[in-house]
Amino acid sequence: MTPAFPKREVWWIAIAAFIGIVLLPCLNAFVPAASFFHVSNFSINIYGKYLCYAVLALSVNLLWGYTGLLSLGQALFFALGGYALGMHLLLLIGQLGQYKADIPDFMVFLEFAKRFPETGGLPPHWIPFKNFWFAAAAVVWVPAVVAFIFGWLAFRSRIKGVYFSILSQALTYAACLMFFRNDFTFGGNNGLTDFKFILGADVNSPVTKRWLYVASAILLLLAYLVCRWLTTTKFGLIQRAIRDSENRVLFSGYSTASFKLFVFVLSAIIAALGGALYVPQVGIINPSEMAPDKSLEAVVWCAVGGRGSLVGPILGAVSVNALKSYATRAFAEQWLYILGGLFIVVVVFMPKGLVGLPEQLAGLKSRFCRRKCAASAPETPTATLKPVVRE
Amino acid sequence: MANRSLAILGLFAEFLACASEHRTNLVTAILAEDPAQQLEIIRKLADTSDPIVPQVLAAWRGGTIYIFETNDAKVPFYLDAQLDSDGKAKGIRVIDGEPLFEGDKPMLFLASDLNSADTSSKLRKGIKTTLDLFAIGNPDPKIRRDAVIKLGQEQNPENISYFESRLQREKTGELRKTLVEAIATTQIASEDAAIRFAAIERLREMRSINALSFLEQLHKDAKAAPAKFGEPTVDATRQAIKEIEAYIARGNLVGTAFRGLSLAAVLLVAALGLAITFGLMGVINMAHGELIMVGAYTAYVVQNIFKDAFGAAGTGFDSYFIAALACSFVSAGLVGLVLERGIIRFLYRRPLESLLATWGVSLVLQQVFRHTFGAANVQVSSPSWLSGSFVLQDVLFAYNRIFVIGFAVFIVLLTYWLLTRTPLGLQIRAVMQNRSMASALGVRTDRVNMITFAFGSGLAGMAGACLSQIGNVGPSLGQNYIVDCFMVVVLGGVGNLVGTVSASFGIGVTDQILQPWLGAVLGKITVLAAIILFLQWRPAGLFVTRTRGLEG
Repeated sequence: MTPAFPKREVWWIAIAAFIGIVLLPCLNAFVPAASFFHVSNFSINIYGKYLCYAVLALSVNLLWGYTGLLSLGQALFFALGGYALGMHLLLLIGQLGQYKADIPDFMVFLEFAKRFPETGGLPPHWIPFKNFWFAAAAVVWVPAVVAFIFGWLAFRSRIKGVYFSILSQALTYAACLMFFRNDFTFGGNNGLTDFKFILGADVNSPVTKRWLYVASAILLLLAYLVCRWLTTTKFGLIQRAIRDSENRVLFSGYSTASFKLFVFVLSAIIAALGGALYVPQVGIINPSEMAPDKSLEAVVWCAVGGRGSLVGPILGAVSVNALKSYATRAFAEQWLYILGGLFIVVVVFMPKGLVGLPEQLAGLKSRFCRRKCAASAPETPTATLKPVVRE
Repeated sequence: MANRSLAILGLFAEFLACASEHRTNLVTAILAEDPAQQLEIIRKLADTSDPIVPQVLAAWRGGTIYIFETNDAKVPFYLDAQLDSDGKAKGIRVIDGEPLFEGDKPMLFLASDLNSADTSSKLRKGIKTTLDLFAIGNPDPKIRRDAVIKLGQEQNPENISYFESRLQREKTGELRKTLVEAIATTQIASEDAAIRFAAIERLREMRSINALSFLEQLHKDAKAAPAKFGEPTVDATRQAIKEIEAYIARGNLVGTAFRGLSLAAVLLVAALGLAITFGLMGVINMAHGELIMVGAYTAYVVQNIFKDAFGAAGTGFDSYFIAALACSFVSAGLVGLVLERGIIRFLYRRPLESLLATWGVSLVLQQVFRHTFGAANVQVSSPSWLSGSFVLQDVLFAYNRIFVIGFAVFIVLLTYWLLTRTPLGLQIRAVMQNRSMASALGVRTDRVNMITFAFGSGLAGMAGACLSQIGNVGPSLGQNYIVDCFMVVVLGGVGNLVGTVSASFGIGVTDQILQPWLGAVLGKITVLAAIILFLQWRPAGLFVTRTRGLEG
């Protein structure tokens, strides 16, 4: 087995972490706005968002790249984490909302006072979310429980491959429909928005945004390290073996369902944490966040960056979203063409994504060279004996 | 010739005389001081058939009859519909329909400057009743029917004579039935026990849903005061209510069954193409929904071409739909062909990747259609033979729904025939079961793949043309069907038509049974959850194609 972390890699991680966690926030906080090196508040907020997306992409990759499970419902867990923290933030608004009421605005205009008279309109399951630590715990356990139940049902009956994908998509679609309902007590299609405070700080101030960015960067680092560490363990080995040939692992006496279930729950938790940090930075969470498209988009980031490597998804999430921010501003109409085209090109021509591109180019180059050399050199008998490799 | 024109002239004179009499009555009613007298005249006006009467009465009730006062007379008038540039209009006299003149110039009025003729709420109610009575003589049977139902529910015994006179003139069974029902509904409020009893019996025999609430009220009253109403009334109402409720329950059952069947047909039509491309070939075609959309937009284009060629109605236009079905098969088939040649054939060994690539295609196609036809829904009008409906047992059967059911049967049979009775079908099945063996035996697997995929896509296109008749056609059309389609195919079990048919039937009927209780959205969620749980029991779907392969 390879040593846990080769020295060179440790250096790379340290440099990236230093730039992401220390340097960029410092440039934002201490460098004057006129300077070339200044990072604006707007940018730092956007970067924070990208990093949350990168966490989501990492979780997709853990499932797809390392276990061979293409989940099209990962955005559901991202959104559930977001909702859990969003509920807490919404309750923190207090009487500063539009209606100056004790309960959040949407509960006032949906007349929850009639539905839940004994609590003054606040649905009972909202009450514990007044406590930050409860909400923070819910960010983890709610998606974990959902993932556990769904995963247990799916893996127990050996639903795999595309069937798993389609069912996970149905799951997120059903949840999306559910959250769109006003009487589901989570704000209907408006979702939760208009947050004012987080942990006593103003959620919209540049300082808070900067700290949220730092938190996202640290979360990404931790998620990366966990995934990276997992690949070095025996567990990670079995995980990849399941990806490559599940039946062989099964016949060797491993309960693949338990392994898959563990990975599924773990990735749900990682996605949920990303979602929880995403919500205060963008200031809104609504059911469209868990629509099937969002999950597919997360899969694109992963595919573009290169699945099956750990840097790939991060690279993919950041670059695709940067492209999206640019493209939707510069030529909004064409964005879907670009996204769709990117999908097709990457899937058909770049199966290893951006990360695999140098290798692919090198392969092309050597093949091109060989052909050239073969043309000039006399044919050797060994060449004709080469076994035919079927594509 | 001369005789005839004389006769026409005579008729015309009679008509004029008649008309002027009604106009005089109207003027008298408007100018009368005593409300009781006003009501009486209004009531009498209901016997006439002159269109001016309801027009003036409605205007009076709405406060747009004005009174022009001169020194010696009051002249009621209303304003002409045609306004001049200042918003002024000519005043039209009620008495003869002529404009008011000042000298030789017509006088112009501004509505806001005028005071309308007085009405009280009692008077307005009286006018309303007369207007309703008028409506039962309306040439449009639908308006007639609604008016009769409304008047019946007033339970005013004075209306009975109007119903009866109308009953003698009415020819169609539907309206006669409504009139009898209205008479009976009025009569159950009668003081006379015998009349009341007969009316209850009649309503029971007719299974009148409209009268149910009145019967319930009567039943409650009769139970509260048996001395006044008598035991037979209590029993008769109870029996009548029971029978009507049983009738409603039966109707609901038939309605649910029909709606379930029609939803099942929609699902089947939409999913059949996917059953071919995904079920038989194993290609996860996320662009399936967009192929449906291609078909729907093709129908729209064909419709527009026919509209330009034949106008918006008539046999020429009505036949557009047949052409649209054929064209949408071809267009979606071609798109499918390009898709297969351009992308999917590289991905046969990588099903998850084909899922992603086709999703990319679906995004691009959506955007293409949004660019070309706009983001809003387009209007696909139904040919006359597909619009409308008939009512049986108080259940509405729409023609387009019946058509979809028939169409579903047709394309399932077509597909079945193609797969089992033609050389191409044999090749398709051979390639799907064992590609290398088929290839070794000389089947051109590449070409078979191409044709199969194009055929499946063509079916999706036809589905789109068909669905354009019952739903909206817009760029997000495909997204609405894609999850359902996959559910149908997964639930049915991959690779066989029987499974697809039974799965769509199961999902459609379950959904419609659940909907009255849970509502549309919750019903759908429950169905999705039920499918996930069902796959616990049969992971490979309803009907499993058995193979010896480990990965199946």
